[in-house]
Amino acid sequence: MKYENRQPEEGINVSKGSPVKTFLQLVISTLLLLTVSIFVLYLSGAWLAKKIPFRYEEAIMEKIDVDFGSSGSDQDIREYLSELSARIAVHLPNPDEVSYTVHYEPEDVFNAYATIGGNIVFYKGLLKALPNENALAMVMAHEMAHVSHRDPVAGLGGGVASAIALSTVFGSSGSEYAGSFINGAGGLTAVQFTRKMENNADDAAILAVSKLYGHTVGADSLFKHIDEKRKESSKPDWFSRFSSTHPLDSDRVENIKQKTLELELPTSGDTTPLPDLW
Amino acid sequence: MNNLLLFLGLLFCGWFFGRRAEQRHYKSIIERELEFNALPAIASRFPPTDTAYEQQLVAGSTVVSSDYFKSITAAMINIFGGEVKPFEALIDRARRESILRMKAEAKSAGADMVFNIKMETSQIAAGRTGAIEVLAYGTALIPTNVVDIASAPNVTDMNVATPA
Repeated sequence: MKYENRQPEEGINVSKGSPVKTFLQLVISTLLLLTVSIFVLYLSGAWLAKKIPFRYEEAIMEKIDVDFGSSGSDQDIREYLSELSARIAVHLPNPDEVSYTVHYEPEDVFNAYATIGGNIVFYKGLLKALPNENALAMVMAHEMAHVSHRDPVAGLGGGVASAIALSTVFGSSGSEYAGSFINGAGGLTAVQFTRKMENNADDAAILAVSKLYGHTVGADSLFKHIDEKRKESSKPDWFSRFSSTHPLDSDRVENIKQKTLELELPTSGDTTPLPDLW
Repeated sequence: MNNLLLFLGLLFCGWFFGRRAEQRHYKSIIERELEFNALPAIASRFPPTDTAYEQQLVAGSTVVSSDYFKSITAAMINIFGGEVKPFEALIDRARRESILRMKAEAKSAGADMVFNIKMETSQIAAGRTGAIEVLAYGTALIPTNVVDIASAPNVTDMNVATPA
Protein backbone atom coordinates (compact mmCIF):
# COMPACT_ATOMS: atom_id res chain seq x y z
CA MET A 1 0.00 0.00 0.00
CA LYS A 2 1.25 3.45 -0.84
CA TYR A 3 0.93 6.16 1.76
CA GLU A 4 1.22 9.82 0.99
CA ASN A 5 0.39 13.28 2.31
CA ARG A 6 -0.87 15.64 -0.34
CA GLN A 7 -0.61 19.35 0.14
CA PRO A 8 -3.99 20.55 1.46
CA GLU A 9 -5.82 23.32 -0.32
CA GLU A 10 -5.64 26.59 1.59
CA GLY A 11 -8.72 28.28 3.07
CA ILE A 12 -10.64 25.15 4.08
CA ASN A 13 -10.19 25.42 7.81
CA VAL A 14 -9.79 29.17 7.87
CA SER A 15 -12.72 31.35 6.83
CA LYS A 16 -12.13 34.05 4.27
CA GLY A 17 -13.32 37.62 4.77
CA SER A 18 -12.03 40.88 6.16
CA PRO A 19 -11.37 40.73 9.92
CA VAL A 20 -11.57 44.54 10.12
CA LYS A 21 -15.06 44.50 8.56
CA THR A 22 -16.15 41.81 11.03
CA PHE A 23 -14.66 43.83 13.87
CA LEU A 24 -16.50 47.01 12.87
CA GLN A 25 -19.80 45.16 12.50
CA LEU A 26 -19.31 43.70 15.97
CA VAL A 27 -18.41 47.08 17.48
CA ILE A 28 -21.57 48.67 16.06
CA SER A 29 -23.74 45.76 17.25
CA THR A 30 -22.14 45.78 20.71
CA LEU A 31 -22.60 49.53 21.10
CA LEU A 32 -26.24 49.29 20.02
CA LEU A 33 -26.84 46.44 22.43
CA LEU A 34 -25.15 48.31 25.26
CA THR A 35 -27.07 51.52 24.60
CA VAL A 36 -30.41 49.73 24.58
CA SER A 37 -29.51 47.63 27.67
CA ILE A 38 -28.30 50.62 29.65
CA PHE A 39 -31.36 52.64 28.68
CA VAL A 40 -33.75 49.86 29.71
CA LEU A 41 -31.81 49.10 32.90
CA TYR A 42 -31.56 52.78 33.82
CA LEU A 43 -35.32 53.23 33.47
CA SER A 44 -36.05 49.99 35.35
CA GLY A 45 -33.59 50.88 38.13
CA ALA A 46 -35.00 54.39 38.39
CA TRP A 47 -38.58 53.10 38.49
CA LEU A 48 -37.75 50.56 41.18
CA ALA A 49 -35.72 53.05 43.24
CA LYS A 50 -38.67 55.43 43.38
CA LYS A 51 -40.54 52.72 45.28
CA ILE A 52 -38.04 53.01 48.14
CA PRO A 53 -39.67 54.99 50.99
CA PHE A 54 -38.15 58.43 51.57
CA ARG A 55 -37.26 57.57 55.17
CA TYR A 56 -34.83 54.94 53.82
CA GLU A 57 -33.05 57.67 51.87
CA GLU A 58 -32.70 59.66 55.08
CA ALA A 59 -31.46 56.58 56.94
CA ILE A 60 -28.82 55.93 54.26
CA MET A 61 -27.59 59.52 54.45
CA GLU A 62 -27.37 59.30 58.23
CA LYS A 63 -25.40 56.08 57.96
CA ILE A 64 -22.82 57.37 55.49
CA ASP A 65 -22.58 60.65 57.40
CA VAL A 66 -21.71 63.06 54.60
CA ASP A 67 -20.30 66.45 55.51
CA PHE A 68 -22.21 69.04 53.50
CA GLY A 69 -20.39 71.91 55.15
CA SER A 70 -23.19 72.51 57.67
CA SER A 71 -20.82 73.10 60.58
CA GLY A 72 -19.30 76.33 59.29
CA SER A 73 -19.66 79.83 60.65
CA ASP A 74 -22.15 81.09 58.07
CA GLN A 75 -25.19 80.45 60.23
CA ASP A 76 -27.14 83.44 58.91
CA ILE A 77 -26.75 82.25 55.30
CA ARG A 78 -27.93 78.77 56.23
CA GLU A 79 -30.92 80.18 58.11
CA TYR A 80 -31.84 82.40 55.17
CA LEU A 81 -31.61 79.49 52.72
CA SER A 82 -33.67 77.23 55.01
CA GLU A 83 -36.29 79.89 55.47
CA LEU A 84 -36.54 80.42 51.70
CA SER A 85 -36.83 76.67 51.13
CA ALA A 86 -39.67 76.49 53.67
CA ARG A 87 -41.49 79.26 51.79
CA ILE A 88 -41.01 77.44 48.48
CA ALA A 89 -41.96 74.01 49.86
CA VAL A 90 -45.51 75.21 50.47
CA HIS A 91 -45.92 75.72 46.71
CA LEU A 92 -44.43 72.44 45.56
CA PRO A 93 -46.43 69.26 45.12
CA ASN A 94 -44.81 67.57 48.13
CA PRO A 95 -45.48 63.94 48.84
CA ASP A 96 -46.24 63.63 52.56
CA GLU A 97 -42.99 62.21 53.84
CA VAL A 98 -40.51 64.24 51.76
CA SER A 99 -38.49 66.84 53.67
CA TYR A 100 -35.76 69.25 52.56
CA THR A 101 -32.45 70.19 54.16
CA VAL A 102 -30.57 73.04 52.53
CA HIS A 103 -26.80 73.23 53.01
CA TYR A 104 -24.30 75.95 52.22
CA GLU A 105 -20.75 75.31 51.02
CA PRO A 106 -18.53 78.40 51.20
CA GLU A 107 -16.54 77.37 48.10
CA ASP A 108 -16.18 79.32 44.91
CA VAL A 109 -17.95 76.67 42.84
CA PHE A 110 -20.67 77.61 40.39
CA ASN A 111 -23.08 74.84 41.33
CA ALA A 112 -26.03 73.65 43.35
CA TYR A 113 -27.33 70.13 43.54
CA ALA A 114 -29.94 67.93 45.14
CA THR A 115 -29.08 64.50 46.42
CA ILE A 116 -30.73 61.68 48.31
CA GLY A 117 -32.36 62.25 51.68
CA GLY A 118 -33.74 65.63 50.57
CA ASN A 119 -30.33 67.30 50.88
CA ILE A 120 -29.79 70.35 48.70
CA VAL A 121 -26.39 72.00 48.53
CA PHE A 122 -25.71 75.58 47.43
CA TYR A 123 -22.19 76.81 46.72
CA LYS A 124 -21.06 80.34 47.39
CA GLY A 125 -19.88 80.64 43.77
CA LEU A 126 -23.42 80.21 42.50
CA LEU A 127 -25.03 82.49 45.10
CA LYS A 128 -22.63 85.27 44.15
CA ALA A 129 -23.71 85.05 40.51
CA LEU A 130 -27.43 85.41 41.28
CA PRO A 131 -28.91 88.85 40.56
CA ASN A 132 -32.00 88.62 42.80
CA GLU A 133 -33.95 86.39 45.15
CA ASN A 134 -36.34 85.37 42.39
CA ALA A 135 -33.47 83.72 40.50
CA LEU A 136 -32.30 82.01 43.69
CA ALA A 137 -35.83 80.82 44.41
CA MET A 138 -36.05 79.41 40.87
CA VAL A 139 -32.84 77.41 41.32
CA MET A 140 -33.86 76.28 44.80
CA ALA A 141 -37.38 75.36 43.67
CA HIS A 142 -35.80 73.42 40.79
CA GLU A 143 -33.59 71.40 43.16
CA MET A 144 -36.46 70.91 45.62
CA ALA A 145 -38.68 69.71 42.78
CA HIS A 146 -36.01 67.07 42.03
CA VAL A 147 -36.34 65.87 45.63
CA SER A 148 -40.11 66.02 45.53
CA HIS A 149 -40.13 64.00 42.27
CA ARG A 150 -37.69 61.53 43.93
CA ASP A 151 -35.19 62.17 41.09
CA PRO A 152 -31.99 61.71 43.16
CA VAL A 153 -32.91 58.21 44.30
CA ALA A 154 -34.19 57.39 40.80
CA GLY A 155 -30.92 58.61 39.28
CA LEU A 156 -28.96 56.63 41.82
CA GLY A 157 -31.00 53.46 41.23
CA GLY A 158 -30.76 53.83 37.47
CA GLY A 159 -27.03 54.56 37.66
CA VAL A 160 -26.33 51.53 39.80
CA ALA A 161 -28.43 49.23 37.61
CA SER A 162 -26.72 50.35 34.42
CA ALA A 163 -23.26 50.25 36.08
CA ILE A 164 -23.82 46.65 37.09
CA ALA A 165 -24.79 45.88 33.50
CA LEU A 166 -21.57 47.52 32.31
CA SER A 167 -19.55 45.48 34.79
CA THR A 168 -20.86 42.25 33.29
CA VAL A 169 -19.53 43.31 29.92
CA PHE A 170 -16.38 45.24 30.80
CA GLY A 171 -15.26 43.54 34.01
CA SER A 172 -14.75 45.04 37.41
CA SER A 173 -14.59 48.74 36.56
CA GLY A 174 -18.37 48.91 36.26
CA SER A 175 -18.96 47.29 39.65
CA GLU A 176 -16.40 49.63 41.25
CA TYR A 177 -18.45 52.50 39.87
CA ALA A 178 -21.60 50.95 41.33
CA GLY A 179 -19.77 50.40 44.62
CA SER A 180 -18.78 54.04 44.84
CA PHE A 181 -22.48 54.94 44.70
CA ILE A 182 -23.49 52.49 47.36
CA ASN A 183 -20.60 52.68 49.81
CA GLY A 184 -19.80 56.33 50.13
CA ALA A 185 -20.40 59.88 49.22
CA GLY A 186 -18.14 59.72 46.16
CA GLY A 187 -20.99 59.33 43.73
CA LEU A 188 -23.44 61.71 45.34
CA THR A 189 -22.61 64.72 43.23
CA ALA A 190 -22.38 62.51 40.18
CA VAL A 191 -26.02 61.41 40.31
CA GLN A 192 -27.27 62.02 36.82
CA PHE A 193 -30.74 63.22 36.06
CA THR A 194 -32.31 62.76 32.67
CA ARG A 195 -33.38 65.73 30.63
CA LYS A 196 -37.00 64.79 31.24
CA MET A 197 -36.37 65.02 34.99
CA GLU A 198 -34.76 68.44 34.48
CA ASN A 199 -37.66 69.73 32.41
CA ASN A 200 -40.22 68.45 34.91
CA ALA A 201 -38.27 70.10 37.75
CA ASP A 202 -38.21 73.39 35.79
CA ASP A 203 -41.96 73.20 35.24
CA ALA A 204 -42.67 72.60 38.93
CA ALA A 205 -40.19 75.34 39.91
CA ILE A 206 -41.68 78.06 37.70
CA LEU A 207 -45.13 77.34 39.14
CA ALA A 208 -43.79 77.50 42.70
CA VAL A 209 -41.91 80.76 42.03
CA SER A 210 -44.99 82.28 40.43
CA LYS A 211 -47.09 81.37 43.46
CA LEU A 212 -44.44 82.63 45.88
CA TYR A 213 -43.87 86.07 44.32
CA GLY A 214 -47.09 86.46 42.36
CA HIS A 215 -45.15 86.62 39.05
CA THR A 216 -42.29 84.93 37.17
CA VAL A 217 -40.09 87.99 36.66
CA GLY A 218 -36.42 87.26 37.29
CA ALA A 219 -36.89 83.49 37.42
CA ASP A 220 -34.96 82.96 34.20
CA SER A 221 -32.21 85.50 34.89
CA LEU A 222 -29.62 82.91 36.01
CA PHE A 223 -30.10 80.84 32.86
CA LYS A 224 -29.88 83.98 30.71
CA HIS A 225 -26.64 84.84 32.47
CA ILE A 226 -25.19 81.34 31.89
CA ASP A 227 -26.34 81.34 28.28
CA GLU A 228 -24.50 84.60 27.67
CA LYS A 229 -21.36 83.12 29.25
CA ARG A 230 -21.71 79.97 27.16
CA LYS A 231 -21.91 81.97 23.94
CA GLU A 232 -18.40 83.17 24.71
CA SER A 233 -17.13 79.56 24.64
CA SER A 234 -16.28 77.79 21.40
CA LYS A 235 -18.47 74.71 21.75
CA PRO A 236 -21.40 74.75 19.31
CA ASP A 237 -24.96 74.63 20.71
CA TRP A 238 -25.80 71.29 19.14
CA PHE A 239 -22.77 69.72 20.88
CA SER A 240 -23.72 71.11 24.29
CA ARG A 241 -27.31 70.04 23.77
CA PHE A 242 -26.26 66.50 22.85
CA SER A 243 -23.57 66.04 25.47
CA SER A 244 -25.32 67.50 28.49
CA THR A 245 -28.08 65.93 30.56
CA HIS A 246 -29.26 69.41 31.50
CA PRO A 247 -31.31 71.23 28.89
CA LEU A 248 -29.39 74.04 27.29
CA ASP A 249 -29.84 77.29 29.21
CA SER A 250 -31.33 79.06 26.19
CA ASP A 251 -33.81 76.15 25.94
CA ARG A 252 -34.62 76.55 29.63
CA VAL A 253 -35.28 80.25 29.22
CA GLU A 254 -37.56 79.38 26.32
CA ASN A 255 -39.23 76.63 28.36
CA ILE A 256 -39.92 79.03 31.24
CA LYS A 257 -41.39 81.51 28.76
CA GLN A 258 -43.59 78.81 27.20
CA LYS A 259 -44.77 77.53 30.55
CA THR A 260 -45.56 81.06 31.69
CA LEU A 261 -47.68 81.63 28.57
CA GLU A 262 -49.30 78.22 28.76
CA LEU A 263 -50.40 78.63 32.37
CA GLU A 264 -51.05 82.34 31.94
CA LEU A 265 -48.76 83.17 34.84
CA PRO A 266 -48.28 86.87 35.65
CA THR A 267 -45.25 88.35 33.90
CA SER A 268 -44.98 91.75 35.53
CA GLY A 269 -43.84 92.68 38.99
CA ASP A 270 -40.80 93.67 40.98
CA THR A 271 -37.92 91.38 41.76
CA THR A 272 -36.92 90.88 45.38
CA PRO A 273 -33.36 91.87 46.23
CA LEU A 274 -31.02 89.39 47.87
CA PRO A 275 -29.84 90.00 51.44
CA ASP A 276 -26.23 91.08 51.74
CA LEU A 277 -24.99 87.87 53.35
CA TRP A 278 -22.34 86.51 50.95
CA MET B 1 -9.35 59.52 27.01
CA ASN B 2 -5.91 58.08 27.71
CA ASN B 3 -7.45 54.67 28.28
CA LEU B 4 -9.25 54.91 24.96
CA LEU B 5 -6.04 55.84 23.14
CA LEU B 6 -4.22 52.95 24.83
CA PHE B 7 -7.01 50.60 23.80
CA LEU B 8 -6.94 51.80 20.19
CA GLY B 9 -3.13 51.58 20.15
CA LEU B 10 -3.17 48.01 21.41
CA LEU B 11 -5.89 47.17 18.92
CA PHE B 12 -3.86 48.55 16.01
CA CYS B 13 -0.68 46.78 17.19
CA GLY B 14 -2.62 43.54 17.54
CA TRP B 15 -4.08 43.83 14.07
CA PHE B 16 -0.87 44.95 12.34
CA PHE B 17 1.68 42.67 14.01
CA GLY B 18 -0.74 39.77 14.36
CA ARG B 19 -1.53 39.88 10.65
CA ARG B 20 2.15 40.10 9.73
CA ALA B 21 3.08 37.19 12.02
CA GLU B 22 0.26 35.10 10.59
CA GLN B 23 1.24 35.75 6.97
CA ARG B 24 4.89 34.91 7.67
CA HIS B 25 3.97 31.79 9.58
CA TYR B 26 1.70 30.50 6.80
CA LYS B 27 4.44 31.09 4.22
CA SER B 28 6.88 29.07 6.31
CA ILE B 29 4.31 26.32 7.01
CA ILE B 30 3.47 25.85 3.33
CA GLU B 31 7.16 25.69 2.33
CA ARG B 32 7.95 23.07 4.98
CA GLU B 33 4.79 21.06 4.27
CA LEU B 34 5.85 20.70 0.63
CA GLU B 35 9.20 19.44 1.85
CA PHE B 36 7.79 17.05 4.46
CA ASN B 37 5.04 15.57 2.29
CA ALA B 38 7.60 12.92 1.40
CA LEU B 39 7.26 11.68 4.98
CA PRO B 40 3.57 10.88 5.34
CA ALA B 41 1.78 11.20 8.64
CA ILE B 42 -1.16 8.80 8.67
CA ALA B 43 -4.00 8.62 11.18
CA SER B 44 -4.53 4.87 10.73
CA ARG B 45 -3.74 2.59 13.66
CA PHE B 46 -2.59 -0.20 11.36
CA PRO B 47 0.88 0.22 9.98
CA PRO B 48 2.05 -1.59 6.85
CA THR B 49 3.03 -5.16 7.57
CA ASP B 50 5.15 -5.93 4.57
CA THR B 51 8.25 -4.41 6.06
CA ALA B 52 9.73 -4.60 9.52
CA TYR B 53 9.96 -1.28 11.30
CA GLU B 54 11.34 -0.04 14.49
CA GLN B 55 8.75 2.10 16.22
CA GLN B 56 9.32 5.25 18.08
CA LEU B 57 7.06 7.81 19.67
CA VAL B 58 7.44 11.20 18.01
CA ALA B 59 5.76 14.41 19.10
CA GLY B 60 5.54 18.01 17.99
CA SER B 61 4.14 20.76 20.14
CA THR B 62 3.36 24.38 19.31
CA VAL B 63 2.10 27.24 21.42
CA VAL B 64 0.53 30.14 19.53
CA SER B 65 -0.71 33.30 21.18
CA SER B 66 -3.71 35.30 20.19
CA ASP B 67 -3.26 39.02 19.59
CA TYR B 68 -5.24 41.87 21.12
CA PHE B 69 -7.30 42.47 17.98
CA LYS B 70 -8.32 38.82 17.69
CA SER B 71 -9.09 38.55 21.41
CA ILE B 72 -11.32 41.63 21.42
CA THR B 73 -13.11 40.49 18.26
CA ALA B 74 -13.62 37.02 19.79
CA ALA B 75 -14.88 38.57 23.03
CA MET B 76 -17.54 40.46 21.09
CA ILE B 77 -18.48 37.29 19.15
CA ASN B 78 -19.01 35.67 22.57
CA ILE B 79 -21.86 38.13 23.15
CA PHE B 80 -23.72 37.33 19.95
CA GLY B 81 -22.57 33.77 19.21
CA GLY B 82 -21.45 32.38 15.87
CA GLU B 83 -18.20 31.11 14.45
CA VAL B 84 -15.13 32.48 16.19
CA LYS B 85 -13.38 33.10 12.90
CA PRO B 86 -10.43 35.06 14.34
CA PHE B 87 -9.25 31.95 16.17
CA GLU B 88 -9.57 29.61 13.17
CA ALA B 89 -6.22 30.64 11.73
CA LEU B 90 -4.65 30.36 15.17
CA ILE B 91 -5.72 26.73 15.59
CA ASP B 92 -4.91 25.90 11.98
CA ARG B 93 -1.39 27.30 12.30
CA ALA B 94 -0.75 25.52 15.60
CA ARG B 95 -2.04 22.19 14.27
CA ARG B 96 -0.03 22.30 11.03
CA GLU B 97 3.10 23.52 12.81
CA SER B 98 2.84 20.70 15.38
CA ILE B 99 2.54 18.07 12.65
CA LEU B 100 5.58 19.58 10.93
CA ARG B 101 7.58 19.46 14.16
CA MET B 102 6.51 15.88 14.74
CA LYS B 103 7.61 15.01 11.21
CA ALA B 104 10.91 16.79 11.77
CA GLU B 105 11.52 14.58 14.80
CA ALA B 106 10.55 11.50 12.80
CA LYS B 107 12.85 12.51 9.96
CA SER B 108 15.77 12.96 12.31
CA ALA B 109 15.11 9.43 13.62
CA GLY B 110 15.28 8.15 10.03
CA ALA B 111 11.58 7.27 9.81
CA ASP B 112 9.74 6.57 6.57
CA MET B 113 6.38 7.59 7.90
CA VAL B 114 4.44 8.31 11.06
CA PHE B 115 1.37 6.26 11.95
CA ASN B 116 -1.52 6.58 14.31
CA ILE B 117 -1.09 10.28 14.71
CA LYS B 118 -3.24 12.06 17.26
CA MET B 119 -3.60 15.62 18.40
CA GLU B 120 -4.45 17.33 21.62
CA THR B 121 -5.28 20.95 22.20
CA SER B 122 -5.09 22.83 25.44
CA GLN B 123 -5.58 26.43 26.39
CA ILE B 124 -2.79 28.07 28.28
CA ALA B 125 -2.43 31.61 29.60
CA ALA B 126 -6.20 31.92 29.82
CA GLY B 127 -7.52 35.43 29.93
CA ARG B 128 -8.17 38.24 27.56
CA THR B 129 -5.03 37.50 25.56
CA GLY B 130 -4.77 33.75 25.73
CA ALA B 131 -2.64 31.19 23.94
CA ILE B 132 -3.25 27.63 22.78
CA GLU B 133 -1.03 24.62 22.63
CA VAL B 134 -1.45 21.88 20.06
CA LEU B 135 0.41 18.64 20.61
CA ALA B 136 0.69 16.18 17.73
CA TYR B 137 2.11 12.74 18.38
CA GLY B 138 2.36 9.44 16.59
CA THR B 139 4.40 6.34 15.98
CA ALA B 140 7.36 6.85 13.70
CA LEU B 141 8.11 3.79 11.57
CA ILE B 142 11.86 3.44 11.10
CA PRO B 143 12.88 0.78 8.62
CA THR B 144 15.18 -1.87 10.09
CA ASN B 145 17.74 -3.20 7.61
CA VAL B 146 18.66 -6.09 9.84
CA VAL B 147 15.54 -7.88 9.81
CA ASP B 148 14.66 -11.28 8.86
CA ILE B 149 11.09 -11.32 9.96
CA ALA B 150 10.66 -15.06 10.22
CA SER B 151 13.57 -15.33 12.64
CA ALA B 152 12.78 -12.30 14.67
CA PRO B 153 14.15 -13.00 18.14
CA ASN B 154 11.20 -11.93 20.17
CA VAL B 155 7.84 -11.45 18.59
CA THR B 156 6.44 -9.94 21.72
CA ASP B 157 9.01 -7.18 21.66
CA MET B 158 6.86 -4.10 21.28
CA ASN B 159 9.59 -2.22 19.50
CA VAL B 160 9.33 -4.41 16.45
CA ALA B 161 6.36 -4.54 14.16
CA THR B 162 5.39 -8.13 13.54
CA PRO B 163 3.72 -9.31 10.38
CA ALA B 164 0.14 -10.46 10.62
